[in-house]
Amino acid sequence: MLRLLLATILLFKGEDLTGVLKLPPPGVHYRADVASATTAPWVDANGWRIQRAPGKKVFYHVPAGQAALAMAEAHAYGADAMVKVAPGDEDAYSKMKTFLDQLAPAGPQIGNIAVMDDGSPQAGETLNLLHRKNLLFRIVSAPDPNADLNIKVDKSIPNPLEFAMDVRQKLTDDKRLVRIYGSEVVLANLTGGPGNPQLHLINYGKRPIEGLRVRVRGLYSVRHVASFGAPDAKLEDVANRDGGTEFSVLQLPVYAVIDLQGQ
Amino acid sequence: MQRRLFLQLSATAPAALANVIGDVPQYKIVSKYRPEPHKGFPANVVSVHSAKSIDEATEKPDAQVVQQMIARGMTALTGEKTPEAAWKRFFTPSDVVGIKVNCSGAPKIMSNPVVVADIVRNLLATGVKAEQIHIYERFPDQLESVNYGKYLDQKVPIYAVENSRGSVRNYDPNTYVEVNFFGEEDTRSNLIRLVAEKFTKIINVPNMKDHGAAGVTGCLKNIAYGNFSNVARSHSHEKTNTKTFIGTLASVEPLRSRTVLHIMDGLKGVWHGGPFLLRPQFAFFPKKMMFGTDPVAMDRLLLDIIEEKRKSEHANSVWDRSRAQLITDGRSVDPTKNHYIREPGHLEYAGSLGLGEYDIKKIRLQEFEL
Repeated sequence: MLRLLLATILLFKGEDLTGVLKLPPPGVHYRADVASATTAPWVDANGWRIQRAPGKKVFYHVPAGQAALAMAEAHAYGADAMVKVAPGDEDAYSKMKTFLDQLAPAGPQIGNIAVMDDGSPQAGETLNLLHRKNLLFRIVSAPDPNADLNIKVDKSIPNPLEFAMDVRQKLTDDKRLVRIYGSEVVLANLTGGPGNPQLHLINYGKRPIEGLRVRVRGLYSVRHVASFGAPDAKLEDVANRDGGTEFSVLQLPVYAVIDLQGQ
Repeated sequence: MQRRLFLQLSATAPAALANVIGDVPQYKIVSKYRPEPHKGFPANVVSVHSAKSIDEATEKPDAQVVQQMIARGMTALTGEKTPEAAWKRFFTPSDVVGIKVNCSGAPKIMSNPVVVADIVRNLLATGVKAEQIHIYERFPDQLESVNYGKYLDQKVPIYAVENSRGSVRNYDPNTYVEVNFFGEEDTRSNLIRLVAEKFTKIINVPNMKDHGAAGVTGCLKNIAYGNFSNVARSHSHEKTNTKTFIGTLASVEPLRSRTVLHIMDGLKGVWHGGPFLLRPQFAFFPKKMMFGTDPVAMDRLLLDIIEEKRKSEHANSVWDRSRAQLITDGRSVDPTKNHYIREPGHLEYAGSLGLGEYDIKKIRLQEFEL
């Protein structure tokens, strides 16, 4: 059953958190001094956790300066959220709240990878990596013949990173629903119907992104752009090419929502 | 359940997830531009040496000598009697000219501002307005460290592309090379927007340098990696894809057609650790400049210069592909060690793409001493 993503985001006022999903603060860690297989920054993102617990209320306790990001994340994945902000962040909370309140409710989650999840930690890490690589998925209870790819994630996965890269290769880049060029710290989500999807772009980094190229699979026109912190935001160099819709986002401070219309 | 719908777990290594067949990755070039006709001088290179061109102690060039070197180089290349006539073989007053400098090792090693200033002086003499001459480089910190403005007409724009490192804002979204080397997420390298949309001609002004990944960095590397976004992704651990990526990028239109002249600044060079100057002792002073329209031929000669210098310093060859030379941490300050397997074969590969003449026997070199 499709679930509409009608997020309610509230300031935490000491409510009982029993049964509430506590999420770590979203953000990014740069790891220049850590030897690893990749120099890409480490993004802490919770979209996969929210997808894993549909309908569950979530709670963020975020450090200074991170309130807007947590709220954007909750909204993009349709979570009912309570946010405990750091002293001094009330204004940031209010501004993001005002921004989110004027957005139209999002539709159901769109993903062309159907995932059967056993709920194990290994499966969770695999979902995390799919999420961070902008491989958009839906969690299903049974295989979906309409998906471009069906996968099972479970505790037998020996290496979640290799698995996620394998998923990308099996799907192929041509079939990915969203591609991001120009940043390693922007994650995307798609919601809504196939004829009028809503693209959510979240900048997990600490600095505004200046210049981002986005490709969405399918031919669309741009109906509306809303960007927190960039009231005059617009898209440039919009083009339909090779079965996709491309555009440039000149500035992405934190969160942008782009309404698309099928052609 | 249909079998194709299920992905089986696999132990595929990430390195194998790139789209690579044999030694050549699968490149997709996207460009609406077509080759533009410019008459060049294939396989011809002019080399001008002057012992007075730069003071090794102060590293200060002699502007008058540099001017004479450029005049001699340009007249010899074109066969014209005067420098004015030589420059007019390439440029008209209506041109918008980009001068691609190399500042990757600045401020210790870069396209010397005295050289760049004389190139600008010659362009002005052909009637190109100062506002139509752009000095450009990808990164502002490197470019600003040189302070070209101090040497130039104040109307000459000095332009850095990535004011925010990694931003694709000033690159052309419709002209790019797409390739997946190592499973990286961003698989596009886009051409600088000014090159695609504004410049009618480009002068390439590289240095004479060793390069830890490519073997040497001269004309081809500066024009290729210096005009596209997101190129450092071609290296990972000891493996680099410079062998094929450099030529592929340099062949993209309109970059290829509009790069009508290469002036290699070899007043000062780097024989180890390039593109940077990691230690003062890795600098050397060839005191020469090369002129041509054939980047492969010029780089082929550069390869011999760097290899000969390395040999004299008891460094290993740029052709050394042994694992014994490899280090894993940082950049090598030991001339017998390196952190990549160098790919000087990128010159021959570029030649195979029609970018110029690699065969040393077919290169016509004119040498002058001032």
